[in-house]
Amino acid sequence: MPEWLLKDENYIPQSDKDAFITKSIMTLLGVLSRIRAQSVYKEKKFKVSAALKVAFTFVLILLISISKSIAFTIIINVYLLAVLSMMNGEEIIKILKVSIVTSAFTFVILLPAAFWGNLFSSIFITSKVFATVTAVNMLSHSTRWNSITSALKRFYVPDIFILVMDITIKYIFMLGEFSLNMFYALKLRSVGKNKSKYTSLSGIAGTMFIKSNEMAEDMYSAMECRGFTGEYQVINKKYKMTFPDFVYIIMNIALILIFIYMERV
Amino acid sequence: MIDLTDVTYSYSGNIALKNINLHINKGEAVSLLGANGSGKSTFLKLINGIISPDSGIYKFNNEEITHSKLQDTKFAKLFHQKVGFVFQNSDTQLFCADVYDEIAFGPKQMGMSENEVDKRVNDCLTLLNIVDFKHRQPYHLSGGEKRKVAIACVLALNPEVLVLDEPMNGLDPRTQRWLVEFLIRLNKAGKTLISSTHDLELVQEISQRAVLFGEDHSIAADLPTDKLLTEIDLLKKVNLVDEYYHRITYKQS
Amino acid sequence: MHIPDNYLSPSTCAVMGAVMVPIWAVSVRKVKKEISKVKVPLLGVGASFSFLMMMFNVPVPGGTTAHAVGGTLIAVLLGPFAACISVTVALLIQALLFGDGGILSFGANCFNMAFVLPFLGYFIYKFIKDRVNSEKGEYLALIIGSYIGINFAAFCAAVEFGIQPLLFKNAAGQPLYSPYPLSVSIPAMTLPHLLVAGVVEAVFTVAIFSFIKKVSPGTIYEGAKKKTKAIYGLIVALICLTPIGLLAAGTAWGEWGADEISSVETGGNALGFVPAGMKNGFNFSALMSDYGIKGLPDAAGYILSAIAGVVILLIVFKIIGSLKKNKAGNISG
Repeated sequence: MPEWLLKDENYIPQSDKDAFITKSIMTLLGVLSRIRAQSVYKEKKFKVSAALKVAFTFVLILLISISKSIAFTIIINVYLLAVLSMMNGEEIIKILKVSIVTSAFTFVILLPAAFWGNLFSSIFITSKVFATVTAVNMLSHSTRWNSITSALKRFYVPDIFILVMDITIKYIFMLGEFSLNMFYALKLRSVGKNKSKYTSLSGIAGTMFIKSNEMAEDMYSAMECRGFTGEYQVINKKYKMTFPDFVYIIMNIALILIFIYMERV
Repeated sequence: MIDLTDVTYSYSGNIALKNINLHINKGEAVSLLGANGSGKSTFLKLINGIISPDSGIYKFNNEEITHSKLQDTKFAKLFHQKVGFVFQNSDTQLFCADVYDEIAFGPKQMGMSENEVDKRVNDCLTLLNIVDFKHRQPYHLSGGEKRKVAIACVLALNPEVLVLDEPMNGLDPRTQRWLVEFLIRLNKAGKTLISSTHDLELVQEISQRAVLFGEDHSIAADLPTDKLLTEIDLLKKVNLVDEYYHRITYKQS
Repeated sequence: MHIPDNYLSPSTCAVMGAVMVPIWAVSVRKVKKEISKVKVPLLGVGASFSFLMMMFNVPVPGGTTAHAVGGTLIAVLLGPFAACISVTVALLIQALLFGDGGILSFGANCFNMAFVLPFLGYFIYKFIKDRVNSEKGEYLALIIGSYIGINFAAFCAAVEFGIQPLLFKNAAGQPLYSPYPLSVSIPAMTLPHLLVAGVVEAVFTVAIFSFIKKVSPGTIYEGAKKKTKAIYGLIVALICLTPIGLLAAGTAWGEWGADEISSVETGGNALGFVPAGMKNGFNFSALMSDYGIKGLPDAAGYILSAIAGVVILLIVFKIIGSLKKNKAGNISG
């Protein structure tokens, strides 16, 4: 045993600007918890088919984007908030957080334009951004991701592409957890001033890449063992329209009619 | 040295630690036992300040460790120097391009002179018997070698407490044997050791005291290791062992 | 550099999406040829790497942090065509599932970050590397490639923003989408990238590349052994410029001249939007005044406001309710 190991270290640390570690940890935790939340989704009583949700969310976003009428944008915002109010409190917080942050960011970006006299555009675009972000996040929070990806098949997205997306989500989780632990390790060992932060960070990213290569090789072998030949079929259950689907379609057609009415002028 | 009073922690609604009361003295060697998912890993994260309790008090050297205190970088850095953590998966712990840099990472930050850093790294290399790997890339070492490098890079900080998450996992019997001897030496040298493990055969060699986590995420027993290992009904109750367990103990005694 | 929805007009988005279709088609065919059909799903792993790279916070001198995109790096590691697909999938997952980045502007985002950035970065890298046969030359090539790649991608985004006010206005002459003309959007987008983000991207790219090269050189993509012909680079540059030229033709470049810049410089009365806008009563106080909303019959306006009020209250109560339930929610866990 070397001598220094036998006595307690008498050490006074210097401070260091290493916020990038904590921030990366927070971002990764956010991503991971978002994916983890997928596994505990309860079956909702009022369940609309994912394909319909994806299709009408897209239509809605398109209408918002085309609209020249601020009244229509406000109607859509109220409609979205009304639907949002039926979700549970935690989901509401998560969705609104993103919508508010994004639209506040947009408003700040557009603030100079407002001072130049484009107050209208600034408010108009901000409210459109709020609606769009809310709509997308409501879709992603209220629907299982694998049903969103397999719903894409109904829009003629190739099966192999859907497989790639599903694999990506899974590996974002696995590699994300791996790199999260590396950031923890970096944090625990950053006991003073780190003079080469880029070296540490690129060590993490580089290790993640090498690890991802290794995982891909393993996955390839495993798939081959299970007889994968490059063909993949997403199986969608036969579609039967349910009562909630019907209500959902009516609501969205009503919105489209309102759009046509409002944009007529 | 380590004091937990009524500590509770939960991950987004799921309880992971429930009413933990534990006191660990300087120089002790403690093992944590428990089935998968009983909260051992969460407990180790908490001891290391990666997470902080939802309720209850965690004191280290008579100072309370809280989330807001750990936001203060100077405080956090000093705390992390005193408590070292060896991760279960050594891959996640090693991010430098060669073994020397890996071990020098900590000492370099502590403002030591070039010579001191060099001495420390070489001492660690010798201590862990990895001098030959000095200039190899950690990523391509074998599992056992990686574990040694991971331990070396934590030891280089000269922590007062060494926390190890499943240190025997994935090692061949010879390396396990070596690690047991090494941990005993470290403990004799005055280091406090806290390790989680599933290995009931080695647990009595590396620790005098064993803490058993129940499936309800609270502490089911806190006894001298030899004593705990004879409480077979208790071990069965927390689902750590099944009815075949007695054969192993029988064989050992 | 993620463009959210509603900054670009739907028609611009459609054009950008249409431009991407043949690029995706070519990339898929190239990748299938290079790595065999059976290995195509492995691109998912590349996509997840690309996704996570964008999650890393990179330290910037001064103590704050920035994000790197890593487009050139991924192109150098996986090859440009695989990089195009990987970044596309990463962007799609961000937009569709994480609600980050636009749905309609997906095509434009892919154009900037999955096409311009990796291809331009890669070809500049390859072009220089093939001519300078040394390790230093390789790193230099990587620095120049990633720096130019990200800056040109930012420039493309700026052009996409900048042509909006010229192309899309309402009857009152108010811009419907991004209100900033090229004279504002280009410096606003490119300066931060030239000075900070570009440097971060270049340093980060080189650091990761050299780590991987040191630790596991076998994992890096081996492009065609023969030298890329200079003409290749030129063609790529032209491909990059064509759609932008198409979009800009006749409208943007012609008008982006002295008069516009001067109108910005005059400050308050810039672009002549003020009088028109004010005359038509488009100011905030009018939008919701008297609980009526412009463009709606009075009664409908009342009802809409009432619904909004009730719904907002409901949401507030639910938030308070769930906050109480798990107070002290620990963020670090």
